[in-house]
Amino acid sequence: MDKQSRRKFIRMAVRGAILGGMAIVTGDLLFRQEGSLFGKNRKSGPTVWQLDPAKCIQCGRCATECVKTPSAVKCTHAYSMCGYCNLCSGYFKPGTKTLDTGGEKQLCPTSAIKRTFVEDPFYEYTIDEALCIGCGKCVKGCGAFGNGSLQLQVQHHICDNCNECSIARNCPADAYRRVPLTDPYLLKGFGM
Amino acid sequence: MKQKIILILAIAIFFALIAWMIGDLFTGNSEPQKNPFDYGMKALRDADSIPDFTEAVSLKPTLSEITSISTGTDGRIYIAGRGGVEIFNSSGHILNRFTIPGNATCLSYMPDGNLAIGIEDHVELWSPSGVLIAAWPAADTASVITGVAATPALIYVADAGKKIVYQYNRDGKLLAKIGEKDPVRKIPGFIIPSPYFDVAISPAGDLWVANTGRHKLEKYGSDGSLLISWGETSMAVEGFTGCCNPSHFTFLRNGSFVTSEKGIERVKVYSPEGVFQFLVAGSESFDEGTRGLDLAAGLNGGILVLDPSRNLIRIFLPNKKN
Repeated sequence: MDKQSRRKFIRMAVRGAILGGMAIVTGDLLFRQEGSLFGKNRKSGPTVWQLDPAKCIQCGRCATECVKTPSAVKCTHAYSMCGYCNLCSGYFKPGTKTLDTGGEKQLCPTSAIKRTFVEDPFYEYTIDEALCIGCGKCVKGCGAFGNGSLQLQVQHHICDNCNECSIARNCPADAYRRVPLTDPYLLKGFGM
Repeated sequence: MKQKIILILAIAIFFALIAWMIGDLFTGNSEPQKNPFDYGMKALRDADSIPDFTEAVSLKPTLSEITSISTGTDGRIYIAGRGGVEIFNSSGHILNRFTIPGNATCLSYMPDGNLAIGIEDHVELWSPSGVLIAAWPAADTASVITGVAATPALIYVADAGKKIVYQYNRDGKLLAKIGEKDPVRKIPGFIIPSPYFDVAISPAGDLWVANTGRHKLEKYGSDGSLLISWGETSMAVEGFTGCCNPSHFTFLRNGSFVTSEKGIERVKVYSPEGVFQFLVAGSESFDEGTRGLDLAAGLNGGILVLDPSRNLIRIFLPNKKN
């Protein structure tokens, strides 16, 4: 190969590489969405950690494994599913005889659930986020005996959104996944 | 020489360290991490006494997602589920199957031998041979039909969405609403926190309804008056617990009640006066989280339990001491 044709070859190769690179970048921009050839398994935009209530087994690790103290995971109430029960199995310890707000009768270790009378025989239950440690005890009780309206969710105004979430790493149910920041909660309920 | 000894020692320590790491990896404490916030479901599920019945046999329908069961006077077994009905004789041999337009939520054998079926948003009456006799829509768009029962002239439909029992004639004409809150008539109203709201006709022909949020079974007159009720809230085997139980009930031929519960899954028999008599099956008999244990009375004192988790009809017979 003489000197001139070698130069020509290098020039052509560089042009080809530039054109190929541009085609890949253009294609990626054009098809950047889930399910497309280039954007397969890829979320557009920033993502955050969230817990899927359908997979959650209330193991208690959301309370103990989070780098935040107390945990960034909190009990969240899907009111559309709530039965507003007098005997709320997420509020009262099992076997409680008298249904009042005495601390010894409450299931929550930090009394983070507030019980408010609505009308006979209905009561509303609200979560005091500052007190909730994300242990999931109430979630277990509500799911086992009631409708499952109490659910654990990562609260994004508290969560540091670590690259490697320490709860996700230790979750035995593999319930954590990245979700789009634009739709950051996975509450299940009627009309949700 | 000294260097040689140091080298040998270093190699020995290295291999010892590797051996310890491998040992730790394979023989380390493999116990799962304990939950310091455990609810204690296992203890609650294990607390029941020894059942007074034993599971004798089970029946596997070909229907999927079975939801409801009823038995005829001749011991025939009627099962409804996803898009169909199957009929078995008392020995468990299939007699007939037919399709229905939707998924059944409840089913009842009628005194004339036909079947009343709640199907999502409407009610249908079918002959056992698979001929549609009548059909009418639910009373409201918010209706959730969860129970159906029939006398020779009337059809009662329990609606968990509207928290009312509707009384229809056989042509589907709405005759009355039963159980609406009425302080003047001393009717407390139905508290139905979840879509489990059953209704049944006793052997004496009386209408009984499960007021699950109050943990009571209530007897109503055909004019809608509340006549009597029984049931207590308790974790103990004698009572009903959770937000809403009993989820289903039926009658034995002697008028005794058979009830099933969710949460702590169990099936029990109460006397016609509402006094606890027998534990048919405790929670150890069911998968944790099983809901929708519909019931029917079989021949020879047997109790048929529809287990939606295993898609089986499980038949329990009394132990000999009973």
